[in-house]
Amino acid sequence: MEIVIYGIINSITLSLIAIGFTLVYGISRLPNFAHGAIYVVSGFMVWIFLNMLHLPYLLCILLSLIASGIIGGIIYQLALIRVRGMPISEIIASYAIGLAILEGLRWAGFKGLTYTLPSFLEGSVIILGVPVDFQRIFLVIIGVSIVLFLYLFTHKTKLGLALRGMAQDERAAMMLGIDSDLMAVISMALGSMLAGLAAIVLLPLGNIIVEAGYQILIQAIAVCIVGGLGSWVGAVLASFIIGFAQILTVAYIESHFQMVVALLAIILTLIFRPSGLFGMQKELEERV
Amino acid sequence: MKGWTLKILTILTIFLSPLFLSTHTYATKPIILGCPLSTAFVYGWDAERGIRLAVEEINAKGGVNVAGTKRPFKVEVIDTRDLEPGVPVSEALLAVEKLILEKKADFIMGGPVRSEAALAAMDILSKYKKVSIVTTGVLTPKYHARVLKNYKRYKYCFRITGEAKWMVTGEIIPCLLEIGKKYNLNRLFIMIQDVAHARAGGKIIAKIMKKKGWNVLGEPEIYPTGSTDFSMGLLKAKKLGAQVILIWMDMPETSILLKQWYDMKIPALPFGSIISAAEQPGFWKATEGKGEYCLANVVNAGNAPCNATDWTMRFYNAYKKRWGIEPEAYGTSSSYMAPYVLKAAIERAGSLDSDAVIKALEQTDIMGVYGRIRFDPKSHQVIPATDPKQGAVGSIFQWQAGKRVVVFPKSIAMGEILLPPWMK
Repeated sequence: MEIVIYGIINSITLSLIAIGFTLVYGISRLPNFAHGAIYVVSGFMVWIFLNMLHLPYLLCILLSLIASGIIGGIIYQLALIRVRGMPISEIIASYAIGLAILEGLRWAGFKGLTYTLPSFLEGSVIILGVPVDFQRIFLVIIGVSIVLFLYLFTHKTKLGLALRGMAQDERAAMMLGIDSDLMAVISMALGSMLAGLAAIVLLPLGNIIVEAGYQILIQAIAVCIVGGLGSWVGAVLASFIIGFAQILTVAYIESHFQMVVALLAIILTLIFRPSGLFGMQKELEERV
Repeated sequence: MKGWTLKILTILTIFLSPLFLSTHTYATKPIILGCPLSTAFVYGWDAERGIRLAVEEINAKGGVNVAGTKRPFKVEVIDTRDLEPGVPVSEALLAVEKLILEKKADFIMGGPVRSEAALAAMDILSKYKKVSIVTTGVLTPKYHARVLKNYKRYKYCFRITGEAKWMVTGEIIPCLLEIGKKYNLNRLFIMIQDVAHARAGGKIIAKIMKKKGWNVLGEPEIYPTGSTDFSMGLLKAKKLGAQVILIWMDMPETSILLKQWYDMKIPALPFGSIISAAEQPGFWKATEGKGEYCLANVVNAGNAPCNATDWTMRFYNAYKKRWGIEPEAYGTSSSYMAPYVLKAAIERAGSLDSDAVIKALEQTDIMGVYGRIRFDPKSHQVIPATDPKQGAVGSIFQWQAGKRVVVFPKSIAMGEILLPPWMK
């Protein structure tokens, strides 16, 4: 039973980490390699609001989410807009920004174990004989809520439909009067807010460390490649595949192979289905 | 005209006098200590602080007497980043070479911190004939074994801090046996990090504890550097009926492990052979007290408060005063001692010549922060002991009510080992 419970928790953790990255790529075809840096910055912002400005926790979370969104928007407006449409340059530019943010944090002295966020609720509960702490239960609830929210947002709201229009065919969307750059800014802001939300939910389980930025990026890329770049449904499915594979590896093989699982998934996907599980557009291009 | 001459002379005297007054400072060339350290991690920055504190103290007293000339120490640090996930050994080697070639380091001190990087750096030290004193990290017994095996090539390498073999046989095993005897525990579960010293340490402990009659449950659980979820391993420990969980990990994510251990109320005592997160004074706040009862090995005395020697608390308080925080991790007291030991060796040698300093270092015998400090002349490893009068003494503490209480060895213990309430 612990495999099922912690498999679900691990899968939803991966979903939370990857969904912002895949959303940005899905809408604006921008590989946001600063995703991990935004995750870490969001965590530090909550910490600063909470411990230095002594604001209420909920307000800190809201402020941090807004600030993450603004950072995402600024990154697009100041840097990525200039290299839009040049995939390699987009990767280099966004990775460089992420690197600058993370190394800047390290240079500014944000290192060590003292940066931690409090859990939303202390304590644990036994579910079918398996102990699970409340923070992880929150993690599952928030993860599922986010997926539902994104579905409703992209299917029921005007803005969401515009974003989907962009994702499906940018030129056709532009002919219908949808502003491509505005949508890209919105997608970057939304993706960054999702990275921030992941940080807020996940970081109370451990501590805020700069190095996590690199790992988060690798995990997000792994999930997105397996799921199909740009497909958030694929990302969720891939999270469950990788998440359960990692837990099964720890349970039945050896725990130190769990990192290999994600990398192996990337390799196998690239060999057998380069477009990923739901990367329909790429698959079409490949056939042509 | 005479008035003008006087005025010019007065102005020149005023402006040039500082130069003449400071001639003494500038005339004596500093002895450069090149420190390759992973400064973003506690084992790096704490070592740097230890070295800097000692250097400041030594320089304040006039510096090092090199054949009659007083010369100050100067510290040059380069971040090796070798404690980061992926263990970038090449970056650490570049840092060592840069210290030697660009910073003109006379001696290397501190790291590289990760065993893999330090072993690789031995050849660089040999190539440039630079005497090095490892003060933090580098727990692998291979380090001094290589010196022993090929003295001529690796004679430049000294280690003033503990190493895994002694830690296991001289400290961890006796401490585990003491816990077992006191609370009637004998079921051990091992969780280690996927790095050289931890893998070796975990394997040796499993082997010895089996021989000592303990029930070692399964194979050691090995986690990659940077792991953030330990739930399955902890549940496995609970399922197998573990009573003690031996942890050997030097990554900051170990605080997650202990938070999970507390949240799951795993009925087993966490014993950190190396557990970087729990070593630090900030650990209590970082885990909101969830890490209480965790035992942590800080390798040398002086890294947690105790009275091993007269110098121990003097160092502890001086460090606290200088840096505004207690010594945080296992490489601190040893990093502090290294400049003092080197100073004494240089003064005995009367020069900075590598061969002369090596001979002098081999003759080291001083009562330091963590006991009597001597190097084995053949392997250049500091000689360990459980009695500070005999050698370099280790230190294992337990978190109790927000404090780091030294519980082992008995000769320096400040309290007794306690079990968490859910184990009773």
